Amino acid sequence: MSPTHSLPLLLLLISLLLISTSTGSSDSDRVSELQSLQSRSKTGVIHLDDHSVSRYLTSTKTPRPYYLLIFFDATQLHDKSELQLKTLHSEFSLLAQSFVANNPDPSPSSPNLFFCDIEFKESQQSFALFGVNALPHIRLVAPHQSPKQSEQMDQGDFSRLAESMADFIQAKTKLNVGPIHRPPFLSTKQVAFIVLATLVWIPFAIKKIVKGETLLHDPKLWLSGSVFIYFFSVSGAMHNIIRKMPMFLADRNDPNKLIFFYQGSGMQLGAEGFAVGFLYTIVGLLLAFVTHLLVKVRNLNVQRFVMIVALFVSFWAVKKVVYLDNWKTGYGIHGFWPSGWK
Amino acid sequence: MAASETSNGTALRYAFGNVLSFFILLLIGVLAFSIRLFSVIKYESVIHEFDPYFNYRVTQYLTKNGIYDFWNWFDDRTWYPLGRVIGGTVYPGLTLTAGTLYWILNSLNIPLSVETVCVFTAPIFSAFASWATYLLTKEVKGAGAGLTAAVLLAMVPSYISRSVAGSYDNEAVAIFALIFTFFLYIKTLNTGSLFYATLNAIAYFYMVCSWGGYTFIINLIPMHVLLCIVTGRYSSRLYIAYAPLVVLGTLLASLVPVVGFNAVLTSEHFGSFLVFIIIHVVALVYYIKGILSPKMFKVAVTLVLSIGLVVCCAVIAVLVALVASSPTKGWSGRSLSLLDPTYASKYIPIIASVSEHQPPTWPSYFMDINVLAFLVPAGIIACFSPLSDASSFVVLYIVTSVYFSGVMVRLMLVLAPAACIMSGIALSASFDVFTRSIKFQLPGVKGNSQVDAGDTSSEGVVAQNEVAKTDKNEEALKERPSKKNRKKEKEHVEKPSVKAQTKKRLLVLPFEASIIAILLLILLGAFYVVHSVWAAAEAYSAPSIVLTSYSHDGLHVFDDFREAYSWLSHNTEVDDKVASWWDYGYQTTAMANRTVIVDNNTWNNTHIATVGTAMSSPEKAAWEIFDSLDVKYVLVVFGGLVGYPSDDINKFLWMVRIGGGVFPHIKEPDYLRDGQYRIDSQATPTMLNCLMYKLSYYRFVETDGKAFDRVRRTEIGKKHFKLTHFEEVFTTHHWMVRIYKLKPQKNRIRGKAKKSRSKASSTTSTKRGETQRKNPWH
Repeated sequence: MSPTHSLPLLLLLISLLLISTSTGSSDSDRVSELQSLQSRSKTGVIHLDDHSVSRYLTSTKTPRPYYLLIFFDATQLHDKSELQLKTLHSEFSLLAQSFVANNPDPSPSSPNLFFCDIEFKESQQSFALFGVNALPHIRLVAPHQSPKQSEQMDQGDFSRLAESMADFIQAKTKLNVGPIHRPPFLSTKQVAFIVLATLVWIPFAIKKIVKGETLLHDPKLWLSGSVFIYFFSVSGAMHNIIRKMPMFLADRNDPNKLIFFYQGSGMQLGAEGFAVGFLYTIVGLLLAFVTHLLVKVRNLNVQRFVMIVALFVSFWAVKKVVYLDNWKTGYGIHGFWPSGWK
Repeated sequence: MAASETSNGTALRYAFGNVLSFFILLLIGVLAFSIRLFSVIKYESVIHEFDPYFNYRVTQYLTKNGIYDFWNWFDDRTWYPLGRVIGGTVYPGLTLTAGTLYWILNSLNIPLSVETVCVFTAPIFSAFASWATYLLTKEVKGAGAGLTAAVLLAMVPSYISRSVAGSYDNEAVAIFALIFTFFLYIKTLNTGSLFYATLNAIAYFYMVCSWGGYTFIINLIPMHVLLCIVTGRYSSRLYIAYAPLVVLGTLLASLVPVVGFNAVLTSEHFGSFLVFIIIHVVALVYYIKGILSPKMFKVAVTLVLSIGLVVCCAVIAVLVALVASSPTKGWSGRSLSLLDPTYASKYIPIIASVSEHQPPTWPSYFMDINVLAFLVPAGIIACFSPLSDASSFVVLYIVTSVYFSGVMVRLMLVLAPAACIMSGIALSASFDVFTRSIKFQLPGVKGNSQVDAGDTSSEGVVAQNEVAKTDKNEEALKERPSKKNRKKEKEHVEKPSVKAQTKKRLLVLPFEASIIAILLLILLGAFYVVHSVWAAAEAYSAPSIVLTSYSHDGLHVFDDFREAYSWLSHNTEVDDKVASWWDYGYQTTAMANRTVIVDNNTWNNTHIATVGTAMSSPEKAAWEIFDSLDVKYVLVVFGGLVGYPSDDINKFLWMVRIGGGVFPHIKEPDYLRDGQYRIDSQATPTMLNCLMYKLSYYRFVETDGKAFDRVRRTEIGKKHFKLTHFEEVFTTHHWMVRIYKLKPQKNRIRGKAKKSRSKASSTTSTKRGETQRKNPWH
């Protein structure tokens, strides 16, 4: 591709950069362009498209004075949670930010490293150029490599997020990324505010505790809290949080149908867990209701009616759980009968 | 007052009740013990699995050499050539318990072997645990609930899984210690007796000796104390229950070598110290409140508060600084993953990968605590009506343990006693209501006892009796308290009972519905019994050292492991070193009495990686690694012939990964074809040439002519090959264990070898100089 041909296509970039691009721009020009692009970007990640790819990669002569670490992104796939594109992209930006912060003055002798991302919709040619057909995909283009030769980051290299990406970079480029600067969970102002608020609040709280009139003195709150924690735990919600299980799945055979119950004991879906947790809890609650509250009711018929309903519901719930457990794990309850007694 | 009226009759009734509960408890003990004997009856009296073999070996050493030698024991039979300091790295509680049992029995001239004592330790302690549950629940809600909880605990599947006869592991005694410590804490809380407080500290010491799970106690009790203080339930009894526990307990805990200074240095214990400070401040406030007039007190409060706050802030700041200076904030990874469930999966793949540390799904609860899962909420509510110090403790116990069990399936074991206590309380409360409803409305007396007509004469008498009984029951419950507190307690008990007397007559449910409800509850209980017996008999009693399988032509027994170990002990020299994957280390040392390179106490990753590397290397390189470790025999476990799935070929990828983690020339992709682990003709050449493949499949083709692997369900890739550096010396009946000997070095290189020996370290025997750099051991 001749530089004159690419000139009109670069107009947008040029106007953005306010850098006069002569047709014979040298390596150092490109580096300074990239640097200014990097400083303009909030996170230090340079957004590339087909044109800039050709300018910084394909149309240059190797070895280039810089490495490019390219993140292949696709906005349309952001809502697919299993790909984790959003998380990875934010981790990638974090990495870029940390790198820029830790290496403010790159040594002129060693090649630079720039972090870039490409969006699928805008730059389908580049995707084809790199031969990318599955995401997530991160590639490192070394100074002497062509796009096809460049190295792909393994699944294992972004499993530990920014830290492992940094290890990858250090291994491949010998450039030191340094510590990752994660933004603190709360900004310093927020922390200060919270500390101040707590300090102000403590005397009032102690006064209230001494007087014994806080919410904490209400047993009903404790009661509902403990029953809720119980419900939450037996429903396997912890499993859903740790494994990031969805509430339900779409049926593969029939997209309109949803699967709420997953067969097989090692896994469960969110809705399934809550349903069974509810069944676990309701029986005990009904029993307690009957033995502690219903006995105080004076009307015999009301007692009788409520009790029958409660018994029926409890019986149904236990039966349902036994049935579901049998369906899910294949274990049906049966007695143990020594073989000698048959 | 009711008691004084009918003193004679009720006293008799009482005595009868006590004798009856004694016999019930005895039967519960027998039940707890005997339900765990399925493993002995179905298999034989052997020690199970892996870790118990280590405990068994330590116990043997203890009984032979005495406690001082055990305390200072440096074991040179494992982790060759490093060895392991056993005395300082084990929780000695279990070993000391079994050792004491053995010693008592032998001094009574009952000559049981150490192995028998070890096999039956867990069932015996399950009986103790159910009695401890009785005591604990009795302190909380009376004897009826106590008996119900005890019988539930005697057969709760989750606990059975860890305490069948032969499963000689820390948890077996630790659960008893846990419940007993909680009982003594509640007892102290109810009585305020310093005697029980001291016992409590000693029970806590026993728990620290037994299991790392003691941190649960030292965090739960402070939480409860804090809860009591915050909800305005502070009393001198609370102080007596807590302060001695912290002081004595911490001192005693640091006597255990494994814990040592961790008892004051790690964050797991800091909560208790913080609460210790708080309770002193609160005690001081209450004391000052007692000696000052209200006005003076207000002045004092402001003074103390301002000073106290400053001191507190300073202490907290120091603590925070201390804690923050360590990278994990002073918490161990396992504890952290309890607080933040997603922690382990993010940062510690080793912890996350262990199957015991997975979060459970809902069927796990149904399997492990079965119908108790339905009853617990009722128990929680029963504990809230009315809420006492003791019942708030068990509520806290169930809430924390159920949360923790949700994070790690292994902690289901801690949940089980809490679930039993809660279900016992719930069942007892509902039986109380339902039987009362039936008793007062029996067809005979029904005519003149409409539910509301509580004041009719005949009903009145019956009810009076009933109330007297419950009244007495409650008194009996508090009978043991020291005399000082007794009066106070009585007053406390009698006040509500007057109210109860007038009210209780009315608190009945419809007759027929109560009968149905009781029947359903009994059905639920029966379901629980059936499930527990099944779980004990079928699910949890396999020893995994002896395997059985049923097929159309009857029962097959695979006793290959013991065959191999006894071959080793009879046919090899005492000082020979045996290399195998770490899973079999404990068993080899305990059963074959031979030195192993690595074992189940995986404290040295590099050493394990060395063995992993050897197993994943080609024959020659592997020979060199093993030879440098003085290994004479290599043991592999192979399930391909009989279809035993947890064999070494299935564990092999872990060997590659762990080996590759330390020695980068081992690369996992070399063993995978397109990311798939396979051993058939599509397997990679690296895979087909590695030592593990060769040792597992050597001569395998001679068995059926096709070399069909029944675990992987495929024909193997390379069928005919010869071994150059190893020779087969023993293969067990079903080919499950295969033992190979390292061939001696050939003559022609001896001259060279001598040279390198003089240079190499003492652990090295002979090896060729040129291959030194490839050998990861150097």
